Amino acid sequence: MVEVVLKGVTKRFGDVVAAGDVNLKIEDGEFFTLLGPSGCGKTTTMRIVAGLEHPDEGRVFFGDKDVTDLPPYRRNTGMVFQNYALWPHMKVYENVAYGLKVRKVPNEEVKDQVHDALELVKLGGLGDRFPNQLSGGQQQRVALARVLVINPDLLLLDEPLSNLDAKLRVEMREEIKDLQRKLGITTIYVTHDQEEAMVISDRIAIQNFGVIRQVGSPLEIYRRPNNLFIAAFIGRGTLLHGRVEATGELMRVRAGELTLQGYPSKPDMSFEPGYGAACVLRPESFKVKPPDEPYNALEGVIEWGAFVGSHTEVRMDVKGHKLIVDVPPDEDCTVGRSLRIYVSHDDTIFLPMG
Amino acid sequence: MDLRKTFSTLRRELDSMTVIQSLVAYSILLVFLITPIALMISQAFLLRGQFSLSWFMNLLSSPEYVSFTPRGGRLFYVRRGVMYLWGYDYGILLNSLIVAFMVTIFCSIIGVVAAMLMGRYRFPGKGLFRVLLLVPLLATPFVNAYVIGKLFNPRGGLINYILVDLLHLLPWRLDIDGLVGVTLAQTLSYYPIVFLNVLASLNNIDPSVEEQAENLGAKGFRLFRTVTFPLFRPGLAAGAIIVFIFSLEDLGAPIGFTGARANPLSRKLVSYQIYSSFAEALTGSISPKILALAVIILVLAVVGFLAIRRYVNLRTYAMLSKGGRWSPRLRTPSLATRIIIIIFLVFLVTLASMPQIGTVLLATTNWAISGTLPTKVTGEYLATLITNPDVTRAIMNSLIYSGFAMVIMVLVGASIAYIVSRKNLPGSSVLDVLATIPVAVPGIALAVGYFMFFSSGVFRGSLLDPLLDPALLLVFAYSIRRLPFTTRAVSAGLQQVDKSLEESSMNLGANRPTTFYKIVLPLISGHILGGSILSFVYSMSEVSTSVTLGALREDRVPITFFISQIIYGAAAVGAVSIGASLCVLLMAVQITAMAISNYILKQKVAFLGV
Repeated sequence: MVEVVLKGVTKRFGDVVAAGDVNLKIEDGEFFTLLGPSGCGKTTTMRIVAGLEHPDEGRVFFGDKDVTDLPPYRRNTGMVFQNYALWPHMKVYENVAYGLKVRKVPNEEVKDQVHDALELVKLGGLGDRFPNQLSGGQQQRVALARVLVINPDLLLLDEPLSNLDAKLRVEMREEIKDLQRKLGITTIYVTHDQEEAMVISDRIAIQNFGVIRQVGSPLEIYRRPNNLFIAAFIGRGTLLHGRVEATGELMRVRAGELTLQGYPSKPDMSFEPGYGAACVLRPESFKVKPPDEPYNALEGVIEWGAFVGSHTEVRMDVKGHKLIVDVPPDEDCTVGRSLRIYVSHDDTIFLPMG
Repeated sequence: MDLRKTFSTLRRELDSMTVIQSLVAYSILLVFLITPIALMISQAFLLRGQFSLSWFMNLLSSPEYVSFTPRGGRLFYVRRGVMYLWGYDYGILLNSLIVAFMVTIFCSIIGVVAAMLMGRYRFPGKGLFRVLLLVPLLATPFVNAYVIGKLFNPRGGLINYILVDLLHLLPWRLDIDGLVGVTLAQTLSYYPIVFLNVLASLNNIDPSVEEQAENLGAKGFRLFRTVTFPLFRPGLAAGAIIVFIFSLEDLGAPIGFTGARANPLSRKLVSYQIYSSFAEALTGSISPKILALAVIILVLAVVGFLAIRRYVNLRTYAMLSKGGRWSPRLRTPSLATRIIIIIFLVFLVTLASMPQIGTVLLATTNWAISGTLPTKVTGEYLATLITNPDVTRAIMNSLIYSGFAMVIMVLVGASIAYIVSRKNLPGSSVLDVLATIPVAVPGIALAVGYFMFFSSGVFRGSLLDPLLDPALLLVFAYSIRRLPFTTRAVSAGLQQVDKSLEESSMNLGANRPTTFYKIVLPLISGHILGGSILSFVYSMSEVSTSVTLGALREDRVPITFFISQIIYGAAAVGAVSIGASLCVLLMAVQITAMAISNYILKQKVAFLGV
């Protein structure tokens, strides 16, 4: 098990910056996710950790050891590739045994360890199959067993679930999380699926155009975004643009004919009256009855509504602003009906513009 | 800074295996491709030690080489009931260009029509035609032209007998010979190259692209002109440039026609002139005029090839569509159209396989001496393959040369393919071009370069000196000339091995050599085997360097040289039939190889293209 540190890691492909001055510290035993839109450089960052790419600048450390110039085969990481990269000419057993044989583990031990690894991923008895005789989910498990069997210091998972169907994806992500917890292995996970990232991770780093935009726990990233990109990228919601009217502990921002009161996303963000500010409003934080704590009240007309089971997703026109609001399922959401909604000061989050 | 970066990249990427692979590849290409050709080019520009264009000026201003008015020949000329189709003599250089150009045009037309029929229509007997259309690919060097000359002979030629005496379709007998004969022989041998390339492009067109065009109202020729044709044009260009180059450097047809009919017009071609200069080369020198001639066709071929390659790379559209059905659009035309298609294909296939049929007839009957039709079946000619010591020696020589060449090609080809596909090494794109360019280097030009380079200087008197013993040099000549095919076969295999398969191996602790032997090699072994078979077969039937360098020592001659001598000096009774028997042997080797790669290795080898 190991702690991973990236210092100023930069990688360019031509004009494209795949990793721009990435500084990260991943704790021992942590489940850490790199999240971002496709092409943001998250896979490149992971490949640099694995040693499959060499950074143009910056260093990579495993614990105190600088591994930047170490070839991939001396890093003892276990990487699961997006396409699983199972060797088609080897049986499942041979695939899993490969890393042990390369390490010159005696045959008897190899047998036991492969057996255990296959049991661990619930594939006991399938060692004699070829990869193309397995389902997608089973192939995924072989890929996992193949890297877990070598006892890697670091587990690297590159969009491991993206080739599975929706139901299997949910099952597998829970299994992966359980395995990781059981083994206590430091894990870096790459995905573009924010729900997946939220469910599975201890901490998430969000990357865009190669640059890390925020690192934090799922809750922190959702509730306290660092900037507009994060606020727009994570979760659903409405962003309103306005001007700061009053600062202090409780801020007041005016957007068109609306005035909202709330708090800066981060305590250290400074706002000046007259400056631009954006307000993040999550759909589930609206209430149709006045809550106990102090609130902003808004009144508008329902333009569109869709019942999705747990609630009705509604788009409202509030004095010219379009708001996405989750309304309890028993509320009448006929188009054209006017509705009064409330959002507490705690749920009214302000970010500086630009 | 950039230099330092390059250096550090080099240090990281250069493990022992890569170093050995690169060294082998570069040194072989340097010694056996770049230097001999560079030497030849530089000598062509030297006059008494000074830079000079005089050899070129000399060529271009001499009517023997370039003449804008015919210096002889006959075309559509009728005399005493015979129509002479020989072509006009515009000088050696222009003749070669005109023939190559016409062959390219004819092959393109036939190839495109055949590919459209096979790729877009459904009709009875299609599976059979698919095989028969490729019969001309079976190499019957020299004998093919001899057969065509014999069939169109106004005195007793089988075709004239059928068309004039039997069916009375024509008022005169045809005498096809000279440049027209060469054009006909080459067209019939080379059209499958265009056919295969265009058919591959056609099969690669997503059917929904054409269906969308029809859905928007384009039909028939408009659909062909606006969608289908532009999409297969890269395939056509790739096939056409290969045909052009093959025609320029072909020796089989000129020598074969000379042997069949002794019409001097068949010799007024660049390739033949260079070939005949090797007869004088025994004294140890080649005239600078011949060098200049070789340089001219070399430049034409290489520049044309590189230009087309660039165009094809730019225009090879990756098909964007995902999903949907993916089988080519096949239409069942009306009964009348089906009949026309079949008649056309029967005609084409019969005409185009005449050389192969004729070769078999020559080898198994007394046709060579019996006149219009054979009268007796005999096994005596085929028996000479085993009984005649000269024939057996030529076969053994070819087998040995091709065997060694195959080993070299597989080692070098696999190394190059691996370096090019896997490495971010500086210069790997140069390597890629160098490994492909031998397709475009006319064999006779390479032969001239080899002769100059290895018969003088440090190599004089060495094992590589062709005047002493051409055997080793022939092995390397075969290796270089057929290298692109091997490299391509291995590359095709490597393309199917996703990079992540190697990366996961290295991630699990295996270094590069281990990864190569345990992961890459097993996965591409089929392609390596296919590539080896292909290299072997192509080496066996190699003509240009075999008949030039191979001529330099009697006990070292390969099969193709032996055939050329037989056809050229077809004096001894039955000798032509012995040449034909050797061709039958070559065909048998090729058919076996194709069967192995098709049915055992399950590989579609698209072996000729840019």
